[in-house]
Amino acid sequence: MEEKIINRENLNKLCRDIIDGGNILIAPGKTEYTVIKDTSEIILDAGSKPTKASYKNYAFPKAEPVIYYKKDKNDIELIDIDIKGKKTVILGAKPCDSNSFDILSKVFNWDYKDDFFNMRVKNFIVIGMMCEFADKYCFCTSVGLSPVSEKGSDIFLIPLDENNFAVRIITDKGKEFMESYGKYLTEGNPEKAKAKTEAGKSSAKMPEKVFNSEEVRKWLGKNFEHPFWDGIGDVCLSCAQCAFVCPVCHCFDIVDEDYSYEEGRRMKNWDGCQFGHFTLHASGHNPRDIQGKRYRQRINHKFKYYVDKFGEILCTGCGRCSRGCPVSIDIKEIVSDTVKN
Amino acid sequence: MDELRNHVKEMLANGTVAAVIGYKEAGSPMRTKPVIITAPEEAILLVFNEYCLNNLAVYLTKARVKNLARVNGTIKKLGIVAKPCDVHAVIALIQESQLKREDVYIISFNCNGVVKDYGETLTGETIASKCLHCDARQPLYHDKVFGELKDLPASPDEELAKIKSFDDMTSQERFEYFKNEFDKCIKCYACRAACPMCYCTQCITDKTIPRWVESSAHGRGNFSWNLIRAFHLSARCVGCGECERACPMDIPLSLINRKMLEVAKNDFAYLSGRNLETPTLVGSFDVKDKEEFIL
Repeated sequence: MEEKIINRENLNKLCRDIIDGGNILIAPGKTEYTVIKDTSEIILDAGSKPTKASYKNYAFPKAEPVIYYKKDKNDIELIDIDIKGKKTVILGAKPCDSNSFDILSKVFNWDYKDDFFNMRVKNFIVIGMMCEFADKYCFCTSVGLSPVSEKGSDIFLIPLDENNFAVRIITDKGKEFMESYGKYLTEGNPEKAKAKTEAGKSSAKMPEKVFNSEEVRKWLGKNFEHPFWDGIGDVCLSCAQCAFVCPVCHCFDIVDEDYSYEEGRRMKNWDGCQFGHFTLHASGHNPRDIQGKRYRQRINHKFKYYVDKFGEILCTGCGRCSRGCPVSIDIKEIVSDTVKN
Repeated sequence: MDELRNHVKEMLANGTVAAVIGYKEAGSPMRTKPVIITAPEEAILLVFNEYCLNNLAVYLTKARVKNLARVNGTIKKLGIVAKPCDVHAVIALIQESQLKREDVYIISFNCNGVVKDYGETLTGETIASKCLHCDARQPLYHDKVFGELKDLPASPDEELAKIKSFDDMTSQERFEYFKNEFDKCIKCYACRAACPMCYCTQCITDKTIPRWVESSAHGRGNFSWNLIRAFHLSARCVGCGECERACPMDIPLSLINRKMLEVAKNDFAYLSGRNLETPTLVGSFDVKDKEEFIL
């Protein structure tokens, strides 16, 4: 692992080069990660609150066409979508975001290989950054991550002081990417950065570990039918805020949109398991007819099914769903409570 | 707070109400969440303060909550803790025949404003925009009221300034403004879920045979969803601002709703949810109604 130093001025120049090179640069904004057009828009602050929405939409858009079609009396013509992946750089990804594409890759490459997702991810460079923010909704440490986790980052930044960042090259992809920007880097002192991450681990900004995910997984396996689920989410309003701001929720719906009688396109749109009609069958039967069953699915999918199938927890502990829930349902609280029953 | 808890406890114990929808603390004294209680001893959970942001009237039309009122073959009252602005929503639901006045027991407060967001201390900067132009800090209808009125922290009404600026825009400029805002929409439908007036058992946007509104969260789909919602709420919205608060993408939905409220008020002298005796604006006809908008 190589370690260098970059100062803010040089980091800005590097960003300028990325944009001028015709690539896409994305950085945290107020509500969401936004495409940066001018480097003055970049706010790189390790102490900032996670954006309300994650950046999964840059690899798994909220709505995207998967095929176009034309039809006449006799035939249907299918027109493939030409996916042109453009080099995209995420700057300042929180450790609770940077891991999201690795987790999502498992499901998008399990039986069917999702070219749309893969092509975009292939062109991604994730520049993660150590996080110095924690509120009562953060729980990355309970799902195997931490504010200094480099998981999923190609390059990892550690703020050393107001003006300087240590630059850790994590992957070959990251190394290749940084080769052309070597002029902006100076030699680093690995000890200094290490001291900073160590300090980060023991600081008050380290979210407290509130549950043991393995215990939760085992409890869920034994308690599909349990009175615990009855009252869970009885105040839930069945929106999909939680699923749509989540960095790793990935359910989607396929719908056809006709432009006219002759042509249209097939769309892949985000969907959410808390919607009442998510599991509504054509017969009218709904296996998850009440909110308790829907919430049980959400927790099981994240902390049991995904772990059993792919070996990863489908949660990064970012706390977005709880922070933004219109009725203040806190997932961390519910998951911690499972094993107490 | 004790007054509220004791009263609810008594009402549940003597069978006046079958259940009470109220607020409880959510992990911190500076955040609350809805709670539905049916046992007198649970009344101890209830709180009322400047962090009671939810409009709990949204639960009054939910089947699972209505079912709580069915006790031994009779329909009992549902108790609701409602800020004066939330009482408008209860009244609007009664106006629209979703509820009977005698089936709801309104516990309200003389209101001293709420914060924009949880965790902030109530000041001129952090007070919710809707409180700055509130016309009913005392509930218009109630079965029990608590609290004393205090002066609200002073603050300029920036939302109003923004709405006024629309009047100076060309329709093309306004269109562009909202197009950009709606582009952010991810169709999580938190706006609809949090809205007490969005009580349809099947929303038009969920209908698939035929599909009236494209489900895709692209520009066109977002525009049709947000416009249809605006149309369905015109002269029905009570201005509680829950849709905007619930929106994870920070879309300024209150600008649209507040503008619509103004139009209904100025052109038809009507405000939704203010008077039990008045028929709804869209559900009634008056020969004196303005019709200059008809081309």
